Amino acid sequence: MKWMATIVSVLVFALPAAASAREWKVDPAHSTLAFTGTYQDEKFEGRFERFDAKVGYDPADPAHAKFDVTVDIASVDTANTERDQALPGKDFFDIARFPRAHFVTTRFRQVANGAVLADGTLSLRGVAKPVTLSVKFARVGSGAILDVDTTLKRLDFGVGGGDWADISMIGNDVAVHGHLVLLP
Amino acid sequence: MPLRNTDTRWGAVAQAFHWGIAILILVQGSIGLTMVELGMTPTKVKVFALHKSIGLTILALALLRLAWRLGQRVPSDPPMPRWQRVAARASHFLLYVLILALPLSGWLFNSAANFPLEWFGVVHVPSLTHGLDPVLKAWALRTHALLFWILIGVVAMHAAAALWHHFRQRDDVLLRMLPGDRSPVRREGTFS
Repeated sequence: MKWMATIVSVLVFALPAAASAREWKVDPAHSTLAFTGTYQDEKFEGRFERFDAKVGYDPADPAHAKFDVTVDIASVDTANTERDQALPGKDFFDIARFPRAHFVTTRFRQVANGAVLADGTLSLRGVAKPVTLSVKFARVGSGAILDVDTTLKRLDFGVGGGDWADISMIGNDVAVHGHLVLLP
Repeated sequence: MPLRNTDTRWGAVAQAFHWGIAILILVQGSIGLTMVELGMTPTKVKVFALHKSIGLTILALALLRLAWRLGQRVPSDPPMPRWQRVAARASHFLLYVLILALPLSGWLFNSAANFPLEWFGVVHVPSLTHGLDPVLKAWALRTHALLFWILIGVVAMHAAAALWHHFRQRDDVLLRMLPGDRSPVRREGTFS
């Protein structure tokens, strides 16, 4: 009957693993959530210093992966004092009403060339829209590096509306890049 | 009117530089003083962009003007006391320094503040710093404002001296910086 006990224990331990992917711990000191916008025809880099990412990912089973990210919008830093004073204001992120952005995945897909895409919903400045991330996952020792990329349209979320909607001054496309160092 | 300077008057090129830069300084100073009062709107961004473009234009013209001046003879001064000659030379030298240093300090401030820089939206102008530098930014802004007020003071003295030469001394110091083929006001032999 020993073989039966073995089967039962394998099933018991295997079941939770099949239902949800491996949970990783994000190393906040080495992880970044950055973006690139354009202002007066020049690129500028920004980042959110504070965000909380829950990452469940197993490269052998991306179908059961899950990302859940909450961003503290007030932590925005674009290395320009005047811009960093304007961004939290009503015309841009309006952090008094919308202090946090939230992204959660709904589905992962593997496309023809082997790349992994994560479909999800981004809630930003009171607007929820579908967003797709490209996902690159690489094991490093016992940990991993997760790089995700997408391009958002700032006006989809009303960031810089009204007088600031002029996309010849502030570009509409904002490339977002997340670089997460995952610890076991 | 000849293009080059002669012993009795400034040539057309020197005059074009002189009056062109004078007009730009007036426009630039007026924009600079009003733009800082504007609220944070796209209009403010556009007015600042204009101020930067005019400033870069002045810097380029100042460099060309200096090169032209150094390759030219300079009309000889009417007779005047030594202190007046020294004061005139010193203020002219200072004006050259200021029309170079003012745009440069603005460019430095813009760089240290990590703002973009485009000449009339056509030519990208590189930053002088590696991104944001709050200490240098504050210093450059103070310097920019200080140099502006010094410029206003020296320009006022320069203009007052030109008018004094014209109306009180009745010499041709002002006329020789004005277009038109006026014969020299001063009598030959009296001053030279």
